[in-house]
Amino acid sequence: MNEPALQAYLLAQADDHLILAHRNSEWIGHAPILEEDIALANIAQDELGHATLFYDLVCALGGDDPDRLAFWREAGKFRCVQMVEQPRGDWAFTMLRQYLFDAAETILLAHLVHSSYAPLAQAAAKMRNEEIYHLRHTTAWIKRLGLGTAESHQRTQAALDALWPLAQQLFAPLPGQADLASAGIVPDGESWQQAWRAEVRPFLTTCSLTIPANDTPPTTDRTRHSAHLAPLLADLQQVARMEQEAVW
Amino acid sequence: MNEDPAKLAAFEARIARGEKIEPGDWMPAEYRRQLIRMISQHAHSEIVGMLPEGTWIPHAPNLRRKMVLMAKVQDEAGHGQYLYHAAETLGITREEMIDALLSGKAKYSSIFNYPTLSWPDVAWIGWLVDGAAIKNQTMLAQCSYGPYSRAMVRICAEETFHYKQGKEMIVQYMTQGTPRQKALVQDGLNRWWWPTLMMFGPHDSDSPNSAVLMRWGIKTKSNDALRQEFINEEVPEVLALGLTIPDPDLRFNAETGNWEIGPIDWDEFWRVVKGNGPMNAERLAARQKAHEDGRWVREAVAAYAKRTPEIGD
Amino acid sequence: MTDTQWPRYEVFKQDLPGQPHKAVGSVHAPDAEMALLNARDVFARRPQVVSMWVAPASAVFSLTAEELAANPEFWQGTAVSPQPYALFAKRSQRRSMTFVEYAGEVVAESAQLAIKQALEDGRFQPETAIVWWAVPLSAISGSDPQDVDSYYAPATAKTYRQQSYYGFVSPTRKSVKREP
Repeated sequence: MNEPALQAYLLAQADDHLILAHRNSEWIGHAPILEEDIALANIAQDELGHATLFYDLVCALGGDDPDRLAFWREAGKFRCVQMVEQPRGDWAFTMLRQYLFDAAETILLAHLVHSSYAPLAQAAAKMRNEEIYHLRHTTAWIKRLGLGTAESHQRTQAALDALWPLAQQLFAPLPGQADLASAGIVPDGESWQQAWRAEVRPFLTTCSLTIPANDTPPTTDRTRHSAHLAPLLADLQQVARMEQEAVW
Repeated sequence: MNEDPAKLAAFEARIARGEKIEPGDWMPAEYRRQLIRMISQHAHSEIVGMLPEGTWIPHAPNLRRKMVLMAKVQDEAGHGQYLYHAAETLGITREEMIDALLSGKAKYSSIFNYPTLSWPDVAWIGWLVDGAAIKNQTMLAQCSYGPYSRAMVRICAEETFHYKQGKEMIVQYMTQGTPRQKALVQDGLNRWWWPTLMMFGPHDSDSPNSAVLMRWGIKTKSNDALRQEFINEEVPEVLALGLTIPDPDLRFNAETGNWEIGPIDWDEFWRVVKGNGPMNAERLAARQKAHEDGRWVREAVAAYAKRTPEIGD
Repeated sequence: MTDTQWPRYEVFKQDLPGQPHKAVGSVHAPDAEMALLNARDVFARRPQVVSMWVAPASAVFSLTAEELAANPEFWQGTAVSPQPYALFAKRSQRRSMTFVEYAGEVVAESAQLAIKQALEDGRFQPETAIVWWAVPLSAISGSDPQDVDSYYAPATAKTYRQQSYYGFVSPTRKSVKREP
């Protein structure tokens, strides 16, 4: 087994979930209606829980503890995609990002529950049910926003125009991923992307949204980040980094 | 009060028997008015109460604390939701209540108009503010109005974790923390102690609504009695950690078994209640912004529902 | 200019198979599909839940024992056309976080007549019940039994929402224990 490749893959997953959870959590107390403060707090907790499961897997392969990974790495060491780094935007942007992510995760986890790496298969089984629920929530929202009013349609289309190229980075293969795929540990990025497109394209179309022509992500390299990540990490790590020796 | 004496007597007899008054039952107009006032204020307090702690969700210092704080603030939204429901059963709409909050007409607990300046403030809110709230809520779980009582039973069951996670942090920081952590904890106590004691409301002698609320079984204990219970329970716990309570007059009265406190600054209390606290403007502005930013969302979804008749309807 | 908080839906929660659905409160939602999603997020943050129903608050007919005593002929002139109704009752004054619970179904020509029928056939005992509800079955939407794993089971793993997760925290008790 190509352990360094697996560790890098798991770290990328963990970072995606952590940063997305952080962005979603910014809505708590500021959502459009009380019921959604509660719903989004739930999604954020689930994603943070998934981040923790992935960090645990990373650490089980040797190395740091999850809190050190989340709170003591610089932006350059993070391996998240730029889509999750983007500021939360309006409700359409947040719901659409979550939808595109949930759709990808649900497909990925359906593969990972059969991973030949047993710890990953077990963690995937825990996560999968929650992602299925997220997808119910986000599809319900995208349908209503896409077909609601002229304003909600325009905002959702603008979100899709911005997010569609960014989302493609999710599927870009990581170094050594081919080894992992041939060992049946993770699916290969290309078939994952195809399955995702086959699902999200028709759905978005029924929501009266137009799939953007541009599907080239700004980068496929997870070592390169947008300008939004460093300020986000400054927020995330502010208290943790006050003192080396403090335990919180 | 121009109520039918026979109906009023029957109503008071029901309360004396320990029965719950339910939506649809006869009730004096004043009972309804007091409940709407109290329950909606209570709901608003939960909603505004998301903000001081919510500010720290992005800065929570480890994965576990971040998770716990999200769950706690989520519960506060949930508690606001349960309480708005209880008030709705009295014939007021959530639209009306939210309008009253956002226009500045409605009051909410003054404690949430104080700023959270460091991470341990989140812990103090859990221990002191939620501890004080639980005192009040445990009493209100016995309240004579069914929907309010049920909301309170549910809230009490959930809220205990809020108190415990806060206290857990303070105990950890004071027993295992660095000098800087301990200093932040003490600084937090200096700022949160007195506003927490004010949460129980004015002294009984200055509390105009108390008599009628107790007569009708909405409240079963007075402001001062609840405040004293809280002080007696928490003072020894705080002192045991080596913390200094910011009250030079604080002393234990062996005869009464009570911890006696110095005078509460009621000028400050009324200043904050009347909208001139350190964070009143900012809290209201945050709620107004969320409401305005969310308007197109609520309208879009309502428009979709109107156009799409449901299957089965 | 007037705001919408969306219509209100009453929520009924079933804790375990075989137990009745109980009214736990309400959610605001634009439609029944979103009401079920919101009900899950609001009322299933902690276990146990196996099923939920929602019904528009406007579809609920409620009668209290006091209202019945004041107007025993409450059902007069309400007949429209027969349809099935779900019945709910509150039977105890005990401290509780739930309200009326499911008590069976009847076909009647109005919600009022559904309750009258239940009172006459003995299903509802006037002396033991405090509140009755009748809701047209057609107004009730329920969760899908296949969704238990994704909707309701995940809450059982969220132990940090339970007070028992934190144990007993008391600096004074600890110091007392340490003394001989």
